[in-house]
Formats: sequence, structure tokens, C-alpha cells
Amino acid sequence: MSVLTLGDAGFVPDITDEAPEETPAERSGRLATSADLYRRWERQQWSVAEVAPRRDAETWRALRPFSKEQLLGSLAELEVGEVCVTQTLGSLTDHPQTEDDRIYLCTQMADEARHVRFFQTYIQDACGVPLHEQEGRELEAAADYANVFAPELTKVTGEVRTDGSPEAWYRALVYYHLITEGVLAATALRTTRFLAKRLNLTALDEGLTNVTRDESRHVSFGLRAATDGVTAGYRQVITDAHFEAVDMAAWVLIGPARHNPAPAIPVALQGRAAQLQGSVDIGRERLLKQLRIIGLPELTERADQAWTAGIDKALDAYQERWDAPHPIRAAASA
Amino acid sequence: MSETIGAQVRKLVGEMSPLGARTAQSDDRLVEDLGYDSLAVIELSLQLEATFALQPMAQGTAVDITTVGGIERLVEEALGAPADAA
Repeated sequence: MSVLTLGDAGFVPDITDEAPEETPAERSGRLATSADLYRRWERQQWSVAEVAPRRDAETWRALRPFSKEQLLGSLAELEVGEVCVTQTLGSLTDHPQTEDDRIYLCTQMADEARHVRFFQTYIQDACGVPLHEQEGRELEAAADYANVFAPELTKVTGEVRTDGSPEAWYRALVYYHLITEGVLAATALRTTRFLAKRLNLTALDEGLTNVTRDESRHVSFGLRAATDGVTAGYRQVITDAHFEAVDMAAWVLIGPARHNPAPAIPVALQGRAAQLQGSVDIGRERLLKQLRIIGLPELTERADQAWTAGIDKALDAYQERWDAPHPIRAAASA
Repeated sequence: MSETIGAQVRKLVGEMSPLGARTAQSDDRLVEDLGYDSLAVIELSLQLEATFALQPMAQGTAVDITTVGGIERLVEEALGAPADAA
């Protein structure tokens, strides 16, 4: 096990970085080790109580129905995602590749629990939606992550426990750290933080900033572990896991189960489509960038195609579900 | 006498200004004078659709949308009535 020393030698990529290309540190720097990440975790503590979600309640009540609906949908996706990753991290912690990884993963478990409490408290105290009553249960049940990705994440992390092989561990790592957190959560956090700032939801902005800082550590761990896995001979399982998961990730990002109104006025429709297309593009850039960082740059073209195909499939499903085109399609055909 | 379509549009646009509810004039600019951004324009569009039962419009109908008057004309065209008609 590494001896703890002061200072961090490795870097932690910013998961909300807007540049599609790697930074100089990402190109040539050393990713933070698990020991580095542990030290960061000690310094980067926060609490839900200090964020005090209830202070946003008045601002929330004054929001227009569209903003409320969109934000609540995003918060529900994040909440059910956090519940799922809290329930499934244990098997990765029980079968780590190194003892430093185990210590780091224990810190991540505490983070995930805090994220669950943050999103649940926010939805209840600021948005006024009681999660234990029908309205809250329906909100959670409508989340595409819960219905599409969570069962698969549960399955692959469960296989780590029953199988115990490095192959199973690396497969689960891709589903968990690189796709769920590195692509889906990173994209959702960036767009939701933007809305929180725009709508003056200061507690939400503060909480999401804290969650994003934690997620940057989690994704950094995933990138470093996957890089080690590629080098250690697990290239194929890491590759396969990406292509198994990318279709589901694209589906969750579009969210066919959630109604997305297409404004009738063309300039508004174009604006809405641009917002949604922006999320699709962020997800794509995150996916391709991560592949380059972990040493699989030759997969980017294939991954790009898989992402586009997954998005198209989800847009088709949306049209079938709602008998109307998704705003991205409506704007393209207007 | 009921409000004209133009007056109803001006009232809505003024009420939904991101700068806070205010009286909007036809020559007010949405962005510069009333603080509208892309999110606020989407919210305004959805509210106008609900109020006037608007149907999706072709891109070509998007005339001078930079001012309140542009929106008045847009709604007028969609409803097939002059903006100042009751």
C-alpha cells in the first residue's frame, strides 16, 4: 500500500470541462492514484445540512412550469442514478485490484450515500415532492436510468461478486465509473448546474458543485483503473463493455419516457433543440475523450458511430411513445 | 370590450420578462430591453401556445422575432387575425 504523503502528484480531470480535446495534463500527465484521491477526499468534505436545500423552496415555487418540469426530471434521473450506484458499489470494493483501490472505493461509498441524501432532500424540501408518496414514486419510476441502465449495472456488478475475476471487475468499472458517471452523470450535472445558475437556485447550484467535485474524483479513479487494465491485458473486456453500454447510455440521455415539448414558435423550437443537442454532444465528447485517455484512441470512430446510432434509436422510440417528434427531430425537419 | 390579441401578447411578454414583470411595448426588444434568453423564449412560446392554442409553425413564419411587435405579428398570422383585432 502507498505511504500517504502531503500533496497530490496526479491530476483529476474536470468532468465539466467544455473543451472536447484533452488538456495538456490529460495528454501527458499522470492520473491521480487511489492514494492521491483519498487525500483529496479528506480535504473536499461537505454536508447536505450546510447546503440547506430548503432555502431554494421559494424560488422553486416561482419557476415557470416548463423549468420546473425539466429540472425535476433531471433531478429524478440523478437521484435514481445515485441510489443505484450506492447499492452496487459494494462488489467493486470487495474485489479491488489493489488495497489502495479498496480504501479509495470506501471513500466513494460515503460520497454516493451523501449524493442520495442531497438529491432526496432537495426534491422533498425545495421542490416539495414527497418521495415516499405517489407523486414521488411516479417521478422516480419515470426515470429512464432506473428502467434501462440500472438493471444492467446491477447485473454486471453482481457478477463481480459471483465471478470475482478481474475481467468481471473491469467490465463493471466501465459500466459504473466511465459510462454512468463519466458520460451520463457528467452530462446531467453540467446541464443541470447551468439551469440552477440561470434560475437563481443557489442551494442547488452549491450542492451540484459539490457533487461534481466528488464525481470528478470518481471518474478520475475509473480512468486510472481502466488505463491500468488496458495496460495489464484487459483491453478486450474494457472495449466490449463500452460497446455494450453505449446504446443504453444514449437512450437514457434522450429519455424517451419523459415528455419533451416542442415549442410551436420556430425560434423557441430551435433554441430547445440546441439545448438538447448540446447534451447529446457533451455525452459524445465525454465518451470519446475517455477512450483516448485510457489508451483506446483507435475506438473513437466506432464509438462515435455507436453513439449516433443509439441516439437515433432513442429518438425513434420517443416519436413512437409520444406520437410526436422529439424537439431535436422537430427542429431538423421544420 | 375584450383585449386585442396584440394587447394580450404584450401583457404576457411583459409579465414573463426575466427582469421581472413590467409593461411591454411593441417596439421593446426581447433580449436587450426585456432580458429574454433562450430558456425564457421557450417558456414564453409554451405559454403563448397554451393561451392562443397555437399549432406548430413553419420556419418561414418567423418574421422579426427580436421585438414584442414581432411576436404580436407572429401570433396574429397564426390565428389569421390582425393583431389589434379583438
